[in-house]
This record gives sequence, C-alpha cells and structure tokens, in this order.
Amino acid sequence: MSGSRSGSPGVIDQIEETVIAVLLGLMTAVTFANVIARFVFNSNILWALELTVFMFAWLVLLGASYAVKTHAHLGVDAIVNMLPTAGRRVLALITVGACLIFSLLMLKGAYDYWAVFADLPPTSGRWFPTGFDLKARSQSFYEVQDVPMVGMFSFLEDLINYGDRYEKLPKVVPYLILPLSMFLLVLRFAQAGIQVWKGEADRLVASHEVEDELDEARARATEGEN
Amino acid sequence: ACDDGEIVVKFAHVTNTDKHPKGIAASLLEKRVNEEMNGTMCLEVYPNSTLYNDNKVLEAMLQGDVQLAAPSLSKFEKFTKQFRLFDLPFMFKNIDAVDAFQGSEDGQAMLDSMQRRGLQGLGFWHNGMKQMSANKPLISPSDANGLKFRVQSSDVLVAQMEAIGGSPQKMAFSEVYGALQQGVVDGQENTWSNIYGKKFFEVQDGVTETNHGIIDYLVVTSVDWLDSLDPAVRDQFTTILNEVTETRNKEAFSVNEAAKASITEAGGKIVQLDADQRQAWVDTMRPVWDKFAGDVGQDKIDAAQAINAKH
Amino acid sequence: MDVILLFGMVIGLMLIGVPIAVSLGLSSTLFLLVYSDSSLASVAGTLFEAFEGHFTLLAIPFFILASTFMSTGGVAQRIIRFSIACVGHFQGGLAIAGVFACMMFAALSGSSPATVVAIGSIVIAAMRQAGYTKEFAAGVICNAGTLGILIPPSIVMVVYAASVDVSVGRMFLAGIIPGLLAGLMLMVTIYVIARIKNMPKGEWAGWGEVGSSFREAFWGLFLIVIIMVGIYGYPWYSTELGIYKEGAIFTPTEAAAVASVYAFFVATFVYRDMGPLAEKGDRPRRSVMQAPLALLSVWVHPDTKRALFDAGKLTVTLMFVIANALILKHVLTDEQVPQSIATAMLSAGFGPVMFLVVVNVILLIGGQFMEPSGLLVIVAPLVFPIAIELGIDPIHLGIIMVVNMEIGMITPPVGLNLFVTSGVAGMPMMSVVRAALPFLAVLFVFLIMVTYIPWLSTMIPNAVMGPEIITN
Ligand code: NA
Ligand code: NA
Repeated sequence: MSGSRSGSPGVIDQIEETVIAVLLGLMTAVTFANVIARFVFNSNILWALELTVFMFAWLVLLGASYAVKTHAHLGVDAIVNMLPTAGRRVLALITVGACLIFSLLMLKGAYDYWAVFADLPPTSGRWFPTGFDLKARSQSFYEVQDVPMVGMFSFLEDLINYGDRYEKLPKVVPYLILPLSMFLLVLRFAQAGIQVWKGEADRLVASHEVEDELDEARARATEGEN
Repeated sequence: ACDDGEIVVKFAHVTNTDKHPKGIAASLLEKRVNEEMNGTMCLEVYPNSTLYNDNKVLEAMLQGDVQLAAPSLSKFEKFTKQFRLFDLPFMFKNIDAVDAFQGSEDGQAMLDSMQRRGLQGLGFWHNGMKQMSANKPLISPSDANGLKFRVQSSDVLVAQMEAIGGSPQKMAFSEVYGALQQGVVDGQENTWSNIYGKKFFEVQDGVTETNHGIIDYLVVTSVDWLDSLDPAVRDQFTTILNEVTETRNKEAFSVNEAAKASITEAGGKIVQLDADQRQAWVDTMRPVWDKFAGDVGQDKIDAAQAINAKH
Repeated sequence: MDVILLFGMVIGLMLIGVPIAVSLGLSSTLFLLVYSDSSLASVAGTLFEAFEGHFTLLAIPFFILASTFMSTGGVAQRIIRFSIACVGHFQGGLAIAGVFACMMFAALSGSSPATVVAIGSIVIAAMRQAGYTKEFAAGVICNAGTLGILIPPSIVMVVYAASVDVSVGRMFLAGIIPGLLAGLMLMVTIYVIARIKNMPKGEWAGWGEVGSSFREAFWGLFLIVIIMVGIYGYPWYSTELGIYKEGAIFTPTEAAAVASVYAFFVATFVYRDMGPLAEKGDRPRRSVMQAPLALLSVWVHPDTKRALFDAGKLTVTLMFVIANALILKHVLTDEQVPQSIATAMLSAGFGPVMFLVVVNVILLIGGQFMEPSGLLVIVAPLVFPIAIELGIDPIHLGIIMVVNMEIGMITPPVGLNLFVTSGVAGMPMMSVVRAALPFLAVLFVFLIMVTYIPWLSTMIPNAVMGPEIITN
C-alpha cells in the first residue's frame, strides 16, 4: 500500500528517532516537574510553560522532515489507489513538485524571519531571493518571555547584540528551528522525488495516523491464524 | 472593505470591540478615520486576537504585517526597560497621576524611546488601576502569603508577588477562570473592567481595592510605516488619534467605576482598605522598586513621584 | 471568489496525494503572495506561532503519549476482560462489551482511530470466534471507536478549544453526557438487533470474575480518576467544614502530562508489559525487588524510547497539519472571510436552527477530505462568530462539531475509522462501509439530539464551572 520504507535503520534514523523521543520526554518531564513544584512545594518553574512550548515547536518542525522520509504525513490516497502504475507515477511527480515549491518558499520565508533576530540581512524579493535586504532592522535585542538566558549562549551578546547583555534567551535561539527544519524539509522532499523518479515509491502520504499500529495488529492477527 | 488606492491600516488587538476600554477606543478610531479620511486611509480593526495576540503583534508590526497595535505597557519592556516603571507597584496614586505623568515631558519622551528598534509610540490609552483578588479575603499583605497568583510574564510582577509571599504562576489566559474556580491558582490581579468582563469576581472570595498598579496600553506603529506616509496624511491621522485618545481616556475611569458597581450588583464582594491597611501593602511591595530602579532610571521614578505628590 | 479558488486548490492538491499539511500551507502561501501584502517571512513565522501562540495545544502530545503507554501496556486487554465480565452474558453480549470497552478506552485516549486499533484488534477476532459475522463485528467497533473523541479526554476538543479560545476543561466536561448517551444508544441498538437475529450470548461468569477483572483493569482505569480529579478537584470531608470541594491540582494541559507519566509507571512497573521488568524470551516478568536496577535502566530502555518515539511521530503528523491549517486560518482572518460569511448569513435571515444545519452539512462534507483536527482549525473560526451572534453556546457548538467529526470518520468515501477498521478486520473498505451503515443511522439520530438539545452538552459544565461567559 504505502511507499517504500527503508530497511534497517541507519545512523541518521537513529539520531532523528532519538531526538524525537528525547524532546517529547523532556516536554513531559518539565511539565510534570512544574506540577510537582506547585502542588508539593507551593513553588513554580515560571519558564516551564514557555520552554515546553519551544520544545513542542522543535519536535514538530524537526519531525516534519523525518515524516517525509518515512512517508508518515497524513494525506488522501483514495484517488491514487484507483490509478494504474503509470498514472500514480505522474501524480506522485506532480505531488513532489508541489511539496518542493512549498518547502522552498518556506525556506526563504523561514530564513528571512529568523535572520533579523540573528542580526543577519534577510533576503530581498517577494517570491525568490534576489539578494540581501541590508536596510532591514536588526531585532537581535528581542528576548523570549520567560526562559532565562543561559551561559552557553553568552557568546551571542558580543556576536549579535552589540555587547548588550541578555536577561532572557534571545529569540534567535528558539527561532533557529525555522530555517533549519525548512532546509531539512527541502532535502527530504528532494530525496522523495528521486525515489518516485526511480520508481521506488508511488506516493508521499499515509492515509491515516495509525498505519504502523495497524501493520502490527495485522501481523499479530496472521500469527494467530497460523 | 477598503477601496482601491486607500492606505490600508490594520489594527490588531486582543479585546472585544464594544465593552473593553481598549476595544471601544479602537472602534471609535476606526469610525473616525474611515469617515474623515475616506478615500485616503482605511482602518481595519481585528479584535479578539483573531489576527495576532499581544506577544506576537510587535514582531508582526516590525515585519510590516500590521500597522497599529495597543499592547499593554509590560510588552514594551523587551524594547526598553524604562517601561518597567508602569509595572512597579504603588508607583502612581491614581489614574489621574498616571495621566499626568504620561502627558509630562518624561512620559512623552517614552513614546520616542523605541525608535531605534523600529517602534513609534503614538499615545497612551488607559484601562485603569489594578486590584487584587483571591479565594480568601485579602486585607493584610500577609493574607497573600503562600497563595498562588496568576501573573503576566513580567519580571516586575513576579517580584511583586514574591514580595507579598505569593507564588507567581503562569498559564494560558483561557484557562485562568477555570483555574481560579477549581483552585489550581488562588488569586490574580487586574483592573475592575477586566475582573468584571472575565467574571473573575464570581470565582474569588472578594476583590480588594488596592489600586496597587496600572494596566495601560501604548498605541504603537512602526517607524518605517509612519515615515512612509505623506506628511499631510500623517498629521490628519495622528490628530484624529490624539483626539480619540483624549476622549476615551476621560471615559476610562468611569468605565472602571461602572464595572466596579456592576460587580457589587452581581453579588461580588469588594474589600476596602483603610489607610493603615493600605500602607501595609505599600510597605511590603515598595522594596521591589530598588530591584528595578537601575532599569527604569531613578530620574523617571522621581518624576513620577513628584507628579504623584500633586494628586 | 478568490477564497473559493483557495479552497478549490486545497482540495485539489489533497486529492492528488499531496500531504494535507502541504496542501493547506502551499495554497495559503500562494494566495497570500498573490492577493495580499504579507511576506513569505510572516507566513513562515506562522509555523512557529502555531505553538508559541497556542499553549493549550500542548495537551495533544501528552494525551497521545499517555494513550501510547496505555496501548503498549496491554490495558486494552484488561478493559475488554472487565467489560465482558460485566455485560457479556446479555444477548449480543460480546458486541455490547465491545462498545463498553471502547467507551472505557475512550476515557483513556484522545483519539478515535487509536481506540479502534486498541479495542478492535482484540474484540473483532473474539466476536468472530464466538459466532458473530465479521461484518457485524466491524460495524460495531467502527462506530463505537468514534467515541474516542467525544468521551474526554479528546484531541479534537483540545484543538477546538485552542482555535476559539474556550476552556479545555469545560469542553471535556461537556463531552461526558453525550459520550455516555451515544454509547448507551449503540448498546441498546445492538441488544435489539441481537434479540431479533438471535445472536449469541456469553456465560455469566459471576461477580468473582467482575471483581477480579476490575482489579486487573483498575490501574488503567484509575487514569480517568487522575485526569478528572486533577482538573476539577474532588469532594472531601472534614469535621470543621463538613463535606466540601477540595481544589483542583492542575490545568488540562498539565493533566495530560501527569497522565502520561502515570501511564508510563503503570505500564512499566505495575503491569510490566513493557520495559526492563517485562517478560522477555524465557524470562518471566520480574518485580522491582528482583531487578532494582530497572529503576535506572527504565529511563533509557528501548521500550520507553519506542513509546516516546511513536507518540512523538504521531504528534508530528497531526501537529504539522494543524500548524499549516493555522496558516489558512490566518489567510481567512486577514481577508475578513468570517465577517463576510457572518454578515451574509445573518442578513439572509438564518436563525440558529438553519445555521446549525448549515454547520452540520459543511462539517459532514469537509470530514470527507480532512483529518478532523485540521478541519476544525479551519471551520471553527468561520462559524464561531456567527454562533455567538445567534446566541449559541460555544461549548454546545464544540460538541456539535465533535459529533460531526465522529460521523465524518465513518462515512465514505474517506473516513478515518473506516480505513482503520478495514485494516483491523481484514475487510475491504466497501464491506466496512456497509457494515457500519445501521449504526451510522444511530449516530445520525444522536447528532440531531445533540444539536437540538443543548442541555446534553451544557448541563455538566454549567453545573461544575458555572454558565459559559462570552466576553469576547
Ligand atoms: Na477520549
Ligand atoms: Na467521511
């Protein structure tokens, strides 16, 4: 039914899967710790909520490219299923094209969005980067709401904030995920395109959210019957 | 919808359009601009956080996606720490003192203080003085000891709650009513109009009239956008804005008084403090000033106190 | 007109197999670039804002994680045993027990397909062995599984609450009566069919079996208590105060995180179906006393990582759809589409009844193409302002939307539960569609009841949290 899946997991898979697991684990731990802090110690971790939200964004945006690779993005394949192989290939190629356009536009947008917080020039041009917009105002001073500044980022004070100290984490840090994840997304859609071109996959989507669990259930059922 | 050729001004805010002091002011501005500048300028209000919330709107403004906003003054601490002045507890005696300070040279200078970061303040809009409420009557500051207070993200407000022995808590605004009611948090601070509008008084055991702080808004635009306007258009626009500001700021006090009356009418309990009781709150919270005097500037604090003395 | 083009593009892209998230994101981006002044930067920023600006959505990954631990941990089996012990002896008892088990699992899990997989993969096989037809079994589970999003906790309710800014806690309370009612209606229908068709009945295994199966299922079912008590508090007694209400402990989001921590402990240390203490090859389950090192190794155990990863991956796919749907929502807001629709509907003289019919129809059609959460993010902001204008309770509107989503899941051509059931039961889609049909009729009747009897949705939340206030 679904497109090809890679065989034994390689190092990159291991890294991606671990990052996803660790981010979700940390989100849960931080939120849980805040409940304990409030209920047991009548205290609080004021930055817990915001930090969790940032990890949530990192989880989903990083995971989006992993989901491309594993063909896990949700979609409708009812029409695809009705077509002969050749038709599927054409649709899959159009689909990859649409996805590449999307991820390339988003990559430009994400870089532009992040750049001002990093004291870098965003690109000019509405659709395509036509150069750098050197007149754009730097927003490297901009800090997040609650998460405090940590020592490991203090190099940013001299690098991008003209020596001014940060009290809270500068926004350039959490927002870094935008250009990073969109770059990975472009990469993964390009790889998916190659797969489709070579005839190794005929679609990019999973038709529902529990496809893996269903495979397992099917496997168990077959074992039972044998 | 706007006509072709008109300068489209998007004004994003986070309240309703007809009950909240800010919403009313925004609607009035919309009406006047669209009537008096028809053909030149067209103002569209996006209320209820439908377009941006207060944390996002300033980013969007610097991106050029929205032209007007009126976030609460705490939101500008990211741009210049001077704005912490308005969060410091008991800095202003009453809304008239706030008004006088904002109209003074020091206050007006704050409008221009964020120009290098791309923002231009256009005017202060009042909501009003903050009151404090909890699930038990707050008479002496020690009553707040050990209570969990929902606060906005602001180091000053956190320090203020810690000064009275409370535990500051953060949560999504849509959950505050439920959290107060179910006892996840014990108390909160807000203006009369917000306490009435969000019905917080229903789930609290009394609201204490502390007047310990203020919630005001700064109408703000981007320097780049304002500069791009034809001088005549800009003058007409800022004149209308100033008139709206003046009209509505005069009303803000009565909006809050009406909300206060409505709370009593709806069966809410209002706790009044006598002079000694109030002084105890002042004494407990005042040390917070020292912590932030460096950020705000002692001259600003002195100027505010000088004005306070006259009210 | 432009907006119709926009929706046409979204649907067109989806139908040719473009991921839903990309269909939403790409169409909205192109629309903004062509018709508005918005820059690509601000569109990309929306992807981050989806998280930064919607704290309540945080409950979603946590509920998914809790549900993952619960599914991996064999809680479903124990729940099924308990429900068979309770109602298995009625005529059609196994089918009724299947519904009952779906209802209980729904109270642990926030998703419908997850409920179908967890309960269906066991119950459908058992029903076939007991002499039921495959079709009947599939029809029952396919329908009962939809309760996953109606009985709290519910991912779809979290999404609704986040997109129109109402309290998640209130929405959860609102789902209780409708959830129980829908389950009851399904059970009664099965019983009637079973009497007519003389379907098999099980043996009454006695109160002893009820008791011991309950003890087995207890640790799983206790999760429900943790969530409800944590969010809403509990009655308590003291000599000073008499009976009084003890305060709640956490917000709905925190409840979800606590639930996943609890589910993790139950699965690894109580049931020991996963993690270092679980049965492995010839080695039987161990106790912590036998393997104290497990207290350390559990944190890095492959099973723990697997569950976190599985839940994380599901979070990614759902939330990437929602994040992109928020771009579309931004377009609609920017173009003031909700206002124009509201004005048009109000000036056409639509009353609340006609309006709700229109909402039902929009959602039933939309439900054919879209994953429910994504659809809600788009439709809720469109209809919410009109509903408020017409005096419809926002919580009531939310429940109506959820029930519509449920129906969308079991109607062809595209229905999440149809897909999943066809997989679980090993049946072609069209057979599942036919099998689900009689019970679909029940859900339709239920939809009409929920739509026109607001009390069903608003009674509990109003009693516990006071009347909904519309302050916006
Ligand atoms: Na549920
Ligand atoms: Na459907």
